[in-house]
Amino acid sequence: MLRKIIISFLKWILLIIILFFFLFPVYWLVTTAFKHSQDWFSWPPVLIPRSLTLENFTGQARGFEGSLSSSIENIVPYLKNSLIIALFTSLFCTIISASAAYSIARFKTGGRRLASWIVSIRMLPPISTVLPIYILFRNLKLLDTWWAVILMHLVFTIPFSTWVLISFFNGIPKELDEAAYIDGASIWKTFLYLILPLSAPGIAAMATLAFIMSWGEFLIALILTSSPRSQTLPIFLGRYITGFRIAWGPLAAAGLVTMIPVIVFSFTMQRYLLKGLTFGAVKY
Amino acid sequence: MEKTIKKSAILMVLPLILFFVFLTIFPFLYMLFMSFHHYNLLEWKPPYFIGLENYINVFKDQGVKSSLSFTITLVLVALPIEILLGTFIAIFIQNLIGEKFVRSVLLIPMMVPAVVAGVMWKMLFNVEYGPVNYFLSLLNIDKIPWLGSSFYSKVAVIIMDIWQWTPFIFLVLYAGIQTIPQDLIEAGKVDGANRWMILRHIEFPMLKPLFWILIILRLVDILKLFDIVYMTTFGGPGYATHSISFYIYKVSVSFGWDVGYGSALSVLLLVVITILTTILIRTMRLWELLEL
Amino acid sequence: MRKYLVFLMFVLIFILGPNLQAQKEVVLNVWSSPDNADALTDIANRFMQKYPNIKVQVTPISWEVLYPRMLADVATKTGAFDVATWDVMTAGAVAPGFVDLEEFRKQNPDLVDPKWDPKDFDPTIWHIAGIWAGKNIGIPFYCNTMLFYYRKDLFNDAKLKAQFKAMTGKTLKVPTTWEETIDVAKFFTKKFNPNSPTDYGIALMFPRTHTLFYMYLLFFAPYRRSPEGIKKWGEVDLDYGDYFTADKKPAFNSPEGVKALEMMKALMPYSPDPLGSDYGETLEYFAKGTVAMVPQWTGVWANFKVAPALQPFDKKVGVAMMPSGRSVSGNWALGLNIASKNKREAFLFIQFATNKENDKIKFMKFGVAPSRLSTVRDPEVRKADPRVSVFLETIKTQSHRPRIPEEPKLEDITVGAFSQILLGERPNTVEELNKIADEWMKILKK
Repeated sequence: MLRKIIISFLKWILLIIILFFFLFPVYWLVTTAFKHSQDWFSWPPVLIPRSLTLENFTGQARGFEGSLSSSIENIVPYLKNSLIIALFTSLFCTIISASAAYSIARFKTGGRRLASWIVSIRMLPPISTVLPIYILFRNLKLLDTWWAVILMHLVFTIPFSTWVLISFFNGIPKELDEAAYIDGASIWKTFLYLILPLSAPGIAAMATLAFIMSWGEFLIALILTSSPRSQTLPIFLGRYITGFRIAWGPLAAAGLVTMIPVIVFSFTMQRYLLKGLTFGAVKY
Repeated sequence: MEKTIKKSAILMVLPLILFFVFLTIFPFLYMLFMSFHHYNLLEWKPPYFIGLENYINVFKDQGVKSSLSFTITLVLVALPIEILLGTFIAIFIQNLIGEKFVRSVLLIPMMVPAVVAGVMWKMLFNVEYGPVNYFLSLLNIDKIPWLGSSFYSKVAVIIMDIWQWTPFIFLVLYAGIQTIPQDLIEAGKVDGANRWMILRHIEFPMLKPLFWILIILRLVDILKLFDIVYMTTFGGPGYATHSISFYIYKVSVSFGWDVGYGSALSVLLLVVITILTTILIRTMRLWELLEL
Repeated sequence: MRKYLVFLMFVLIFILGPNLQAQKEVVLNVWSSPDNADALTDIANRFMQKYPNIKVQVTPISWEVLYPRMLADVATKTGAFDVATWDVMTAGAVAPGFVDLEEFRKQNPDLVDPKWDPKDFDPTIWHIAGIWAGKNIGIPFYCNTMLFYYRKDLFNDAKLKAQFKAMTGKTLKVPTTWEETIDVAKFFTKKFNPNSPTDYGIALMFPRTHTLFYMYLLFFAPYRRSPEGIKKWGEVDLDYGDYFTADKKPAFNSPEGVKALEMMKALMPYSPDPLGSDYGETLEYFAKGTVAMVPQWTGVWANFKVAPALQPFDKKVGVAMMPSGRSVSGNWALGLNIASKNKREAFLFIQFATNKENDKIKFMKFGVAPSRLSTVRDPEVRKADPRVSVFLETIKTQSHRPRIPEEPKLEDITVGAFSQILLGERPNTVEELNKIADEWMKILKK
């Protein structure tokens, strides 16, 4: 009995350490967003702020700073850009990859060659495409638009989701499709009305991952956008690092706003994530 | 019938193929072409052919050497820790009180945009006022210059990488464990197997393919590491934390768009990645998993 | 799934909504470094009141990206921005992409404001932040320079003075050379003097970013600009800066260049994490009272002014010339993109932003260092800010970074190598500096 208590006690200690490691940085960001400027940095650090403030969000009249670097009041267009880019990336990614994955899984279209090409695109480092894409998009007049970012985010989300969905579709018995064909349904109908609903968790998981990836992506957005018309939230953060100071509070506030939508979105999709991320790899 | 099916099947992959032809093959050809040229935007001169010079320079480049060694360090240190820690947590939280809650909150680091994570860690690692050094001082450890020494800046990047990516590994493995049929485990228990034996002989063999997939994904993502370095150490001090992607960024973008040399570096990186993934795909039998 | 769809619908409405109203006015895109964004936004608001049919949109772009983005835009003639702030050392690199404003004034006399006085700028400033290859590619906007901030109260403290005398046999005063700075910095470092009121003597920033490149000049320029230095290397070329000799060869690969690094190394023990701190951290060290001295740009003043640890401000913070007398320039200019489709409106904006009235307002309101002599001489300005008298002197004595197109590349190689030397991973010898100089020559030949 005592042994059991000790073990469960140790387990709890261990759990607390793990949670602390993974959550403390987030806690620090969240509290900094609500801290007065003198508490951003101090020794000993202000772990539990005694008084909170909203001035990092709304801006404060102090010193020489204007609203651009002391509040997040200009964040709305960026939030909008981020939402649009991430949602469309997620939407197009699922459409393109689900139909391709179905075709590859069921009809072996393109065989291993096509599949290995797709997998190898997943491995492509974004930095290696940035230069030619910049020039290509300039010629197409796509620079500084949502489309430029969406297209490039798709390049990096589609391969993974195709890969996962192939294995997901493999898990759905073939007999189901064949029965549908015999009943006279076309491939498209079978795909839309039979397979898609059955594989909803996998598709939802991929949509979520595409959203997370697109939301946080930095390098591509950095190079391809240049104004509030299309810049995303991660790019927005750069404005608080000035030669006058680093505005840690507003920076944390903006970071918080950047973080919340993706966390809320992912939490609601969590059960799908758990079902969808097994790569069909566990066979029994 | 057979024909229309084939036609539809091809139609279904067509968007994907067109998309990638347009957005990956073209850039690759452009890169290959430019890698044999001298082209630097800040010189305001059109590109001119220089043969293999860019590629020869790669082998003399101090920056390439250091970024390679840093990346190898990451692969050898961060990757195993992430896999072990992720596996451990996935097993550890099974049947624990508050499992669901723990599972949910552990996902947060994975969702925090890397740039935000960078900002966060830059505050945490601050030598004078950072909480990390504060907690260490409670243990009577002197203030550590996390971002200002060759050794510790590497450790810092590794810690940040572990923080951000262990949750992903945890999630995948946790999801994998959930799919193992309970009756298999029950059967094991009936046969008198203890927790460790079940893990060793039932769960691990079933999860093996997942480990392979995770290793290959993480390996490649380490080669892509950029945002965190950009936001915290900026590759420094010296060349201590130049990741490969960060170095290519500096060459191709921040020095003034050295398109030629940057392309050569990217082509080489792609070659390395292709070789790596081909080997890994073979060894992990991806085709069997995909039934192709 | 359904929730997701509802969300999507909501977003679609969100997108379509605002785009329905068409805009007829001219929109000027202004790219600005975050330093100047607040001041430019303020100026833009007043500009829009004056010219209601022109809309000015100021986008802050972080320093690191602003230069490459600008270069890519002007080199490919995309025209994504109309007006941009460019940093003094990138002048040569971006110059071909900017309109010659002198020429533009001649061609568009109807736009020229007669009260806008081009002679009101210091000739050196006008050159480094305005002229490249004889073209007037920008108007000086932010006349930044480095100043030496110190804790007045500590330097005036009788008890500390006595202690310093007892310890070193010298009088405690604001250091005028780097050699003196070492003694003072050591005295104010707790590790070496348990009675020190501050933890460290001086906050230095030697990180891997471009910062280290100009910090080095604070230590090297005193040699470069001394009578012996001038004799050895010739006068400083305003395009090639203090790193070079008069005949455009590297000058830092010399015993003096080694001494400069030696001095930096000698000061490092008295500074909190010099290799891991950039300006954001060092100004924080000073603002929190952790250090007694800090070399910093003009803009941090605003931050110090409201720091609780530095109150009462007048008694606690002093500003002096850099020890050994050489500051470094960090000017920003406003330039007009050659690919801009609204050049006339953009010119009006640049002219408006750099007129006498706005030069004063942006300094008084946002602390953006004035670029016009009339502002610096203005009694009201002088009264408001004691730094201004130091400005006039630093404008004359400060050192400069190279402004040649290859600067960013030279900078990175140098920062990488210096960083390793400061770490002790590479020896600090003339041979080692020669290696860097060789790389410079290779880049310059191309």
